Amino acid sequence: MKKLNNILIIGIGNNTRQDDGLGWVFLELLEKEGFNTNNLVYKYQLMVEDSELISEFNPVIFIDACKSKLKNGFSFERIYPSEEVTFSTHSVPPNQILNLCKTIYDRTPNTYLLKIQGYNWNIGSRLSKQAKTNLKNAFSYFIENLNSK
Amino acid sequence: MSTRKIIIDPITRVEGHGKVTIRLDEKGMVSNAFFHIVEFRGFEKFLQGHPYWEAPVLVQRLCGICPVSHHLAAAKAIDQLVGIDPENLSPTATKLRKLLHFGQVFQSHALHFFYLASPDLLFGIDAPAGKRNIVAVSAENKELAKKGILMRKFGQEIIKALAGKKIHGILAVPGGVHKTFTAEERVYFLDGMLIPNVDTMIEWSKEIIDFIKTYYLENASWIDNFASYPSNHLSLVRKETGAFELYDGRLRSVDFEGNELLNIADVDYRDHFKEAVEPWSYLKFPYMTKYGRENGWNRVGPLARLNTCAYMGTPLAEKERQIFKEYTNNKPNNMTMHTHWARLIELLYSAEAMREFLLDDTLMSNDLVRKGTPRQKGIGIIEAPRGTLIHEYHTDEKGLITKCNLIVSTTHNNEAMNRGVREVAKKVLNNKPEITEPMLNQIEIAIRAYDPCLSCATHALGEMPLIVQLEDCYGNLIDEKIK
Repeated sequence: MKKLNNILIIGIGNNTRQDDGLGWVFLELLEKEGFNTNNLVYKYQLMVEDSELISEFNPVIFIDACKSKLKNGFSFERIYPSEEVTFSTHSVPPNQILNLCKTIYDRTPNTYLLKIQGYNWNIGSRLSKQAKTNLKNAFSYFIENLNSK
Repeated sequence: MSTRKIIIDPITRVEGHGKVTIRLDEKGMVSNAFFHIVEFRGFEKFLQGHPYWEAPVLVQRLCGICPVSHHLAAAKAIDQLVGIDPENLSPTATKLRKLLHFGQVFQSHALHFFYLASPDLLFGIDAPAGKRNIVAVSAENKELAKKGILMRKFGQEIIKALAGKKIHGILAVPGGVHKTFTAEERVYFLDGMLIPNVDTMIEWSKEIIDFIKTYYLENASWIDNFASYPSNHLSLVRKETGAFELYDGRLRSVDFEGNELLNIADVDYRDHFKEAVEPWSYLKFPYMTKYGRENGWNRVGPLARLNTCAYMGTPLAEKERQIFKEYTNNKPNNMTMHTHWARLIELLYSAEAMREFLLDDTLMSNDLVRKGTPRQKGIGIIEAPRGTLIHEYHTDEKGLITKCNLIVSTTHNNEAMNRGVREVAKKVLNNKPEITEPMLNQIEIAIRAYDPCLSCATHALGEMPLIVQLEDCYGNLIDEKIK
């Protein structure tokens, strides 16, 4: 078992909506690589209480599918607390979860967002061909750089 | 001044997406107001052709907030398809399902109060829009935010222990449940080592009830009068005693003065209810046939449940119910904002009920599934967090679903929410030279009190910005604000 120590990796998405499942498939790849599943969390969307979850870890990495065009099909960036508020608590963006964590628990873990570009969002469990390529590239990048973050 | 139309789209801090249209006449008076549910998904249609045993799994996808309620209502109906009525389910299966249900009600009520309703109460209805949210609540009252999060987490952990995961898990199977409760799982909720235990949940529930009672006394003038109007009230009550009941019982309706309008076996609901439709909403309008469309509609949910039941079966919640009833001299409470108070009494009830079940060794028995003589019709009715939830399924001889009817809590409350919108719109908008955002928020508060789950009522997906549009009488856009 490859231990992730205090790293929390959260895959966001829905694996029955084609490329929206990229975040979950990414976690499945990590599981296949033998990483400790206690540190891998599958989420349909983030909600307020996830601020409590991330307060126990450092660093925290969110992985989500992205509709926007990304160079190389993925991007990996550091994110910071945002005081912006969305109208619905159904789905709260990672930077706002981080802000809640800072506000409620006085903790600000180093937090990153890995975005992987997707293309198809209809009902279905298969990733598109392009999304698979992006996933493969993102995963390789992630494994290579995991220990440096 | 010409006639105008104001649109609030979507309503914020509710589960799902809805829209309000307010029409002002030439004098600036509210001529009418509508609460629309404009999304459509059609679960009743696409369940047709599926095997009946898939229903308790498929219907959970109606909602990410109360999937357990749909799972259990469908399960009760499916039990009947395999020949098992509620009283014939094994005691272990019944108790495990009820514990799952209490966990669901507890987490849902905690979510609504702490995440959705508390900003209006803590900061006031006139507070800037940017402040009326959970982030501001967290910043000003960290301990309250922490408790809210941990209470929701407790309910979700109960769900996870029983159904395998917090959202869209599975416990019920036709005629029972597929797993028992283990000693390790029980200890997790009782010893307080890894999460605050069930006794702490009871204490925190009492604290938040004390908070709201104090708040209501200090703000009685607006709390008591805001969106208040007489109505009927409907819920399940316990069969033998008329006591508060969330899982299985008789359907009872009382009018605004407490006169009994209906007291029927839940499976007979079709003989006593009809659903009306309006061209401006996908949400139907259920009513009691005997009393007609105009007078036969009910409120459902926490306020209704406290109005229909004879008493509550746990000591602390019953004590709080009596205080609640004393406020209206033991008559039904028709004050919409008191729904929040009633909801918190149910929060306490759920915590007490969870404790009772967690200490019950029956939960660890292996008597999980019963079988009977198959039938081709099943009706399951439970009290979901937001009110009475009805699932009905018909199958062919192969067990494939041929017909499905779902009446969710928010559907029952459709007429009530529309009346609330009209009531508040007239009070706050009539003859005002300027329409401000806090005024529009009051319209939303009237809806929010019901904690409507618009996802359940119709369900839709998509990206929904908040848009408020002001149009003249010809439909021309005069002003627009986007959140």
